Amino acid sequence: MFNLIQRMRVRVLLLFILIAAASAFKNQPSQLYQITSGKISFKSDAPLEVIKASSTELMGLLDIGKKNFSLKIDVHSFQGFNSPLQKEHFNENYMESDKYPYASFNGKIIEDVDLSADGNYDLRTKGTLTIHNVPQERIIKTAVTVKQKVIIIHSNFTVLLSDHNIPIPTVVNQKLANEIKVEVNATFEPR
Amino acid sequence: MKKNFRLLIVLMIFCSLKAISQDVNLDSMLDVQIKTKNQNKTQYTEATFKTTRLINGHTVETTQGGVLDLKISHRFGMLNEGFYNMFGLDVASIRIGMDYGLTNRLTVGGGRSSFEKQYDAFLKYRLLRQSEGKKNMPVSVTLLASMMIETDTVAIKNQKNIAVEPAFTDKLSYAYQVLIARKFNSDFSLQLVPSMVHENMVDSSFNSNNIFAVGAGARFKLTQRSSLNVEYYYTLPGSKLPGTYNSFSIGYEIETGGHVFQLHLSNSTGMTEKAFIAENTGRWSKGDIHFGFNISRVFTIRKPKDLKM
Repeated sequence: MFNLIQRMRVRVLLLFILIAAASAFKNQPSQLYQITSGKISFKSDAPLEVIKASSTELMGLLDIGKKNFSLKIDVHSFQGFNSPLQKEHFNENYMESDKYPYASFNGKIIEDVDLSADGNYDLRTKGTLTIHNVPQERIIKTAVTVKQKVIIIHSNFTVLLSDHNIPIPTVVNQKLANEIKVEVNATFEPR
Repeated sequence: MKKNFRLLIVLMIFCSLKAISQDVNLDSMLDVQIKTKNQNKTQYTEATFKTTRLINGHTVETTQGGVLDLKISHRFGMLNEGFYNMFGLDVASIRIGMDYGLTNRLTVGGGRSSFEKQYDAFLKYRLLRQSEGKKNMPVSVTLLASMMIETDTVAIKNQKNIAVEPAFTDKLSYAYQVLIARKFNSDFSLQLVPSMVHENMVDSSFNSNNIFAVGAGARFKLTQRSSLNVEYYYTLPGSKLPGTYNSFSIGYEIETGGHVFQLHLSNSTGMTEKAFIAENTGRWSKGDIHFGFNISRVFTIRKPKDLKM
């Protein structure tokens, strides 16, 4: 008799856990946001030449529950530059886009913030920035605006080519800056 | 009780594992998303060759729209000319020419060679572009039609064994090529070039005005900015002009900014299709080897729309 009650109790417990687990999974999709429009621009401001390019093919996912994210961009998709040859050099000689087609940033939001609530936030993200297949641990600040389940991010940061094993040949060292200014704008919506 | 407790722990671990794996999943979920997106996108292969000439002949590349490519090509004399001629360095054969990209696919160009005092003009059209993704194309194909006028009448008379002054039309030659290339990976590209050269006038002992040949060329990338190039034109036996030999060239190519420098050894003196495909008299085995270089400098005349942000 006692055995039966005990068994029942365990079963009820198991049922509870199952329900809890199921509801946890069910909740996840609403926590998950994806980029619906995203743009990355960069600028090299060297003494003899300014080079600008941008891509609107930024893709990314954000989990506002776990506060982690993953962003990726196709390096080939950058447009701009000062000549078609410069774009070819960007892909062929500097980024080696055939070998390393994507640049990525993935990590976590440091601040404890509830991004389901409307508001403006200045957040820090900590993660791995991978460019030219060289990962760098970075803390990148970003401004976040949340309005009716739409999350808009805006961020400015710099990338040092030397950090990512992209050498600048001496002949162009007056035309290409080692410090590249990068601007990211993206809109996340629930997936 | 103990057993059930263990079961409970297992279940808890299972649940927490699921939560941890979520972190990793975000990246793989994104990869899946990118993969589906790429299936609907076409990625065109860029830079099968560095410039529009491999050594003597054209590559499958066309000049980008709005870009002017100034080309200076130079061949010294032959290595077997001995010390008196400084192993060929005293002798020069030069072609100065320009290519202009009307569009990304259509190039018009021309030049003047000191060899036989030739003028040449050509049209080049990129028919197919190698691509992956939605549109899968294994090769790039470019069509070339060129025309040459040889204005050195003394040379023509000697070459064709004639005594009378050649008429204007007798000085004309044409070349047609289908350039088929594939970039196998970022370090290796290969091209095949079925070619036909038509000469309005040939030596009377030779009964065909058409010379058929197949060219092959390859680029092996050595570093990010330099590569090793080889080029060979095989003239089909039935259409070979007497006393001519197949053209073989090997070169080293280096680029800096907007310049491409090509240094090479070749058994051809001329730099137009007629000269190196149909009428090449040099032989490697005899030491008829020319040291030479090509310099290419591009100028952006008109910035194409797709580059504007």
